[in-house]
Amino acid sequence: MSPLLKITNLSAKVGGKNVLAGLSLEINAGEVHAIMGPNGSGKSTLSYVLAGKPGYEITGGSVEFQGRDLLSLAPEERARAGLFLGFQYPVEIPGVNNVYLLKAAVNAKLKAAGKPQVDAYEFLQLVRGKMKLMQMDESFLSRGVNEGFSGGEKKRNEILQMLVLEPTLAVLDETDSGLDIDALKVVARGVNTLKAADRGILLITHYQRLLDHIVPDFVHVLARGRIAKSGGKDLALELEKRGYDWVLEVA
Amino acid sequence: MSLSENKSLAIQIPTSRDENWRYANLRPLAKARIDAIAPAPAPDRAASIPLPAVLPGYERWVFVDGHFARDLSTAASDSCASLRSVPDAGEALASMLDSDLASAGVDFALARQNGARGAAVLVIAPPDDGEARIELNFVTTAAGASGTSYPRVQVHGGRRSRLRIVERHLSIGATDPVVNAAFDVALRADSTIDHCRLQNCADGAACFDTLTAHVGERATYRLRSVTLGGLTSRSTIFVKLAGREARCEFACAAIANRLQTHDLFAEIDHVAPGTTTREIFRGIATERGKLGFNGKMIVRESAHGADSEQSLKSLLTGDGAEAAARPQLEIYTDKVSAKHGATTGKLDEQMLFYLLSRGLDRSQAQALLQWAFIEDTVSQIELAPLRHEIEQLIAAQLNELSALKDLVSHP
Repeated sequence: MSPLLKITNLSAKVGGKNVLAGLSLEINAGEVHAIMGPNGSGKSTLSYVLAGKPGYEITGGSVEFQGRDLLSLAPEERARAGLFLGFQYPVEIPGVNNVYLLKAAVNAKLKAAGKPQVDAYEFLQLVRGKMKLMQMDESFLSRGVNEGFSGGEKKRNEILQMLVLEPTLAVLDETDSGLDIDALKVVARGVNTLKAADRGILLITHYQRLLDHIVPDFVHVLARGRIAKSGGKDLALELEKRGYDWVLEVA
Repeated sequence: MSLSENKSLAIQIPTSRDENWRYANLRPLAKARIDAIAPAPAPDRAASIPLPAVLPGYERWVFVDGHFARDLSTAASDSCASLRSVPDAGEALASMLDSDLASAGVDFALARQNGARGAAVLVIAPPDDGEARIELNFVTTAAGASGTSYPRVQVHGGRRSRLRIVERHLSIGATDPVVNAAFDVALRADSTIDHCRLQNCADGAACFDTLTAHVGERATYRLRSVTLGGLTSRSTIFVKLAGREARCEFACAAIANRLQTHDLFAEIDHVAPGTTTREIFRGIATERGKLGFNGKMIVRESAHGADSEQSLKSLLTGDGAEAAARPQLEIYTDKVSAKHGATTGKLDEQMLFYLLSRGLDRSQAQALLQWAFIEDTVSQIELAPLRHEIEQLIAAQLNELSALKDLVSHP
């Protein structure tokens, strides 16, 4: 079976600077991967390149998502094809309410698949169930997207969107940053419910503590724009103990 | 000011050389028959005009091409509104004012000059402690070449009176009417007016209006203005906060699409102590649309303790669009709080990417952000059925009626 995501020798520039330099990575359906690495190693760049953010110039390599050339798709097409990016810093959009965005996003995906639009009542029931899981008050639905949310609320809202959209591949960029331990558990529980044999999850994180709650199948160290080392979940523990320097030296 | 003469009549009209008229498109005026009042439509024509449902609790007045349409109106028998001849109305207004505001600075008062030739003025005069809800619908049917519509309204709010006015400017029939409206408001002590105006005339319309308001002690003038229609429009607004602790709240939204030009000039003059203004403008220019908002705040030496806030924002989408939101402050006393901000920008790229990353179409995401941008002002319209009506028109104007339909409030 071909991998869900196949990144081959990917290089990318931001503002004239090489940030990704020949990165290769494969994620199969059913797997959870974690990418760790020091600041400036290219972690967030990787997530943005996958999601198609403007301003990132691809200088080499390829990315296949479910056998399709991901880099040739517009950001909205990538989302509809089943890719989800959980933002490190979710943007506030006053005036656009949460439930509207959720519904528009689900309908966009259904429309692309040639399916009928979601039933308003059933949709609300579904969202309410997911909100309960994320311990979010229903009043969040009628508020502007992330408007006035605390850091933790924004991250929970990202996971809520992910649960409603049910992506095939979720890329979560430092979803754990800024969370206290209780919020971290809630977010981790949300992510864990998404785990399935036909889905992949890519966690991007600084710290090992997230991986206590979402156990990865593979851990990769990103350094200088490429994967410097890969291993199992124990690699994260080793990094926690020894830091990144020894990996960088070996690489 | 710079003036030119209309060829057909010796009426002085402004030119774009005048700083305060720089953004207005005055070309239609030069060609328009501003010397002639548009003819009254045939009665059967007027009867077939479709209008939104009457707002609950409101009495309705309808004017077609500036002429009162009795059959379409539902004025209450004890209405505080009545039609009067121009000289009577002028006297009534003058008695309400403690200055000659009605003539001061209103250079482009063509309506007054034409009024002398027999057209009537609607006078709305709730008595002391009176309350009224009045819907004014000005409908054009005739082309500008056959004459100009001259809606004229005077409001005399008695002491402690409470008045709600909805003013619509709409079109059916000819796509290129010319409208020149005059609206004068005088509020006595402790009175309040909520005044919502919507300009949604035909695509080729030229719409000009002059609004003066004289606000007395502890009186409040709330103006909500939405400009969507016409090829060219210009609103000239003078508000004088003449009484102690008088207050003006002004929320204004405008969308200029295609080749539309919308220009607004609003001068708010704080004369008395403790006067307050809250002004907000949100404008969107798309395609080759042009928008101007000139918000002038004057705080006189006598207006110590005045408090004015002004937030002017315009949004550009499309390479041919232009917008200018300009605050102007003239402050003659130190004892004042004045905040003002003006920005003109494009859609926020981060917000746009966020919406795209959730799978929304680019056009839908753009419309959504435009909607969110302008909703600041529209959300201030408290009357639910009217807000619903206006939100629907805005969604249509943003060319995303279906995408935005879930955001339109319930009537």
